[in-house]
Amino acid sequence: MSGNERITVAVAGNPNCGKSTLINALAGSRLQVGNWAGVTVEKKFAELNYNGTAISLVDLPGTYSLSPYSQEEIIARDYLVNEKPDIILNVIDSTNLERNLYLTIQLLELGIPVVIALNIYDEAQQKGYEINIAIHTLLLGVEVIPTVSTQKKGMDSLLNVLVGNVNNQPKRQYYGKDLESAIDVVQTNIKDDRRFSGYASRWLAIKLLEEDEYLLRSTGVVDLTELTGEAVGHLAVAHDEDIESQIVDERYALASGLFHQVFKQTFKPKQELTEKIDKIVLNKYLGIPVFVFMMWLTFKLTFDVGNPFVGWIDGVIGGPLTKWAGALLAAVHAPEWFVSLILNGVIAGVGGVLVFIPVIATMMFFVTFLEASGYMARAAFIMDRMMHKIGLHGKAFIPLLLGFGCNVPSIYSTRILETRRDKLLTALLVPLISCGARLPVYLLFATVFFPRHAANVILSLYLLGIAIAIFMGFVFKHTLFRAEAPVFIMELPPYRLPSVKNLLIHSWEKVKHFVVKAGTLILVASVVIWFSLNLPYGVSQQDSLLGKTGKAIAPILQPLGFGTWEAGASLLTGFVAKEVVVSTMGEIYSGAQEERTEQLSFVGDLKAIVVSFGSAVQEAFFGFFSNIDITGISSSKEEEGLDSLKQRLGLDFTPLSAYSFMVFVLLYVPCLTVLAAFKHEFQSWGWVGFVVVYLSVLPWLVSFAVYQGGRLVGLG
Amino acid sequence: MDLSKVKVGKTVIIKKINLKGTLKRKFMDMGILEGEMVTLEKIAPMGDPLEVTIKNYKLSLRKNEASLIEVEEVQ
Repeated sequence: MSGNERITVAVAGNPNCGKSTLINALAGSRLQVGNWAGVTVEKKFAELNYNGTAISLVDLPGTYSLSPYSQEEIIARDYLVNEKPDIILNVIDSTNLERNLYLTIQLLELGIPVVIALNIYDEAQQKGYEINIAIHTLLLGVEVIPTVSTQKKGMDSLLNVLVGNVNNQPKRQYYGKDLESAIDVVQTNIKDDRRFSGYASRWLAIKLLEEDEYLLRSTGVVDLTELTGEAVGHLAVAHDEDIESQIVDERYALASGLFHQVFKQTFKPKQELTEKIDKIVLNKYLGIPVFVFMMWLTFKLTFDVGNPFVGWIDGVIGGPLTKWAGALLAAVHAPEWFVSLILNGVIAGVGGVLVFIPVIATMMFFVTFLEASGYMARAAFIMDRMMHKIGLHGKAFIPLLLGFGCNVPSIYSTRILETRRDKLLTALLVPLISCGARLPVYLLFATVFFPRHAANVILSLYLLGIAIAIFMGFVFKHTLFRAEAPVFIMELPPYRLPSVKNLLIHSWEKVKHFVVKAGTLILVASVVIWFSLNLPYGVSQQDSLLGKTGKAIAPILQPLGFGTWEAGASLLTGFVAKEVVVSTMGEIYSGAQEERTEQLSFVGDLKAIVVSFGSAVQEAFFGFFSNIDITGISSSKEEEGLDSLKQRLGLDFTPLSAYSFMVFVLLYVPCLTVLAAFKHEFQSWGWVGFVVVYLSVLPWLVSFAVYQGGRLVGLG
Repeated sequence: MDLSKVKVGKTVIIKKINLKGTLKRKFMDMGILEGEMVTLEKIAPMGDPLEVTIKNYKLSLRKNEASLIEVEEVQ
């Protein structure tokens, strides 16, 4: 093929085949991440240039098969069938060749050129596997390239054969006499049928024989027998199995035949790493303690590494940035209300969100680590019995765990579950899992009211959320979701050390998403809050729009121990995003803050920013190694700007009512974004309404029990 | 005998899969086929699900579904 061409490459493969690392290795910084149209399954793509050929890479979701039973499979299939890429790059896990070839056989049915990357080839070699590439290539009629994407090995040959093979039709695989003649019959029947123009005829014939419901629906076939009648009749007589199973068996027979012709194990390692690890991790007695330890470690690392940077960002925004913005506005003689809007509304509001980037980034880093290393599947394996009790799949543990980072991706990740019932039930429990945005509220209150036990107090809130989620799961299972619990079938992939670069890319994507969300939604919210606090202009905050509403709901909150207009107003603004509770309190109480006159020195400020960043790095590093309990939270430096807020809180709350307030923040209606995600995912305002009601009543009851119960036993 | 009653460490051959429709296809897509050898590797700490090796990879499934898979011991 000569230069100046343009080709589209679809990258397909099983989950855990190293596809995502391979895409990163091929695309590097040109990688873009988005969503598949209309759905929220991640879509990676990149535009490359190889020797004058423009290559457009599209990553398909990882699937075991192309049956239309999960969202991922439908996306992958629709893309291959409708968009007709020029070539498919089939990524195979060389250590798991036979099962991966089952998908390969299905890809070959599509009539699209294919190139195979035998990925994770180094690991296969370490296991003593020998794969005969020449025979492999010969039998399938496609190029087969060994790759080690973690070391970028084989990438150049891969691009080379991709460009060179766009016109190379793979060898047709023979499905046995009976099936082949049935396929022939159907192909003849559909030959001139206009409903099917644009489909690859062999693939279509196979799908019609399988009675593929999704295809029948999308092509509008009502009477299947007129297309497959005679062929099906013959097959049914010759075999006592349904045709779909016969075809699956045939594909596996081909995969297995191919596997046995190309595969040889030259030596057997004594015991494989995965088995060694699983002996401990999945041990009858150690499994659960290890699981608890892993969860604890994730937390410890997240906070110890993230927190010093939280302090640093807060310092930069609250200090130099606010100072310089103020000086700039004064220089252009901006009106007083405008200065207040910018400094107290925009900068303070957005700043209040930006400070949580480090914690979200570290949380995502470690959660992705758990996922990419293979431990997440073990966690699901260990937790399934318990999840099953509350009517859920062990996998539902994953969205719930992700919920600790942010409920929004977590609602979307309920997609990994198969039935709507499962997704919905999981999504209803997700808001009870304490997300990162609630942490600032706990941090503020816990450091003010429980300075010595801040870490334990915060941990108790997380645990309370989990306990209530389990309880509500149980309640839902026996009320709204009485239908049969779904099946559980899940691969336990081999343990692998994920590359730091891939983890960073993933964390970066999450952070970017969060910042974009912060930059738009939260900015708008901050401005709206500033206006509702300051309108009508000139009145005290208590008489402002928000203050009045806060006052109106105060009596309802009275029995919970925080019946003040300030608390009410903060909780109201928390509907927008829970971290806004803190910034609203900041704004409400910052009226008392005295004006600071500081010297403007650009170089001096820049130096201070760099120096404080250095000490944050140091603190993160030493916090990581020095102590082995979660003291990082309480020992983070006191920020100047928060002092007056903290003093005022001491007047309005007691430790008991502060705890009750934190419990309420933990459980009440998640942010608007979560509701939006909920609506998007389940397409039902009815369920959104249900969430709002259920998450207003539940927190009230629990906070009531905490506060009144605490008073009964003499606390507060 | 069915797969849920196999002892840890034992290898058996799948004789019959008593599942239907989507569920059966899903199991077959994961490599659970008649005539296939399965080794029971582990039982989860809480007693369910099971971990098996099939087609040289590790898969977990619940006892509930495993009980619908008829197996025979390898001699």
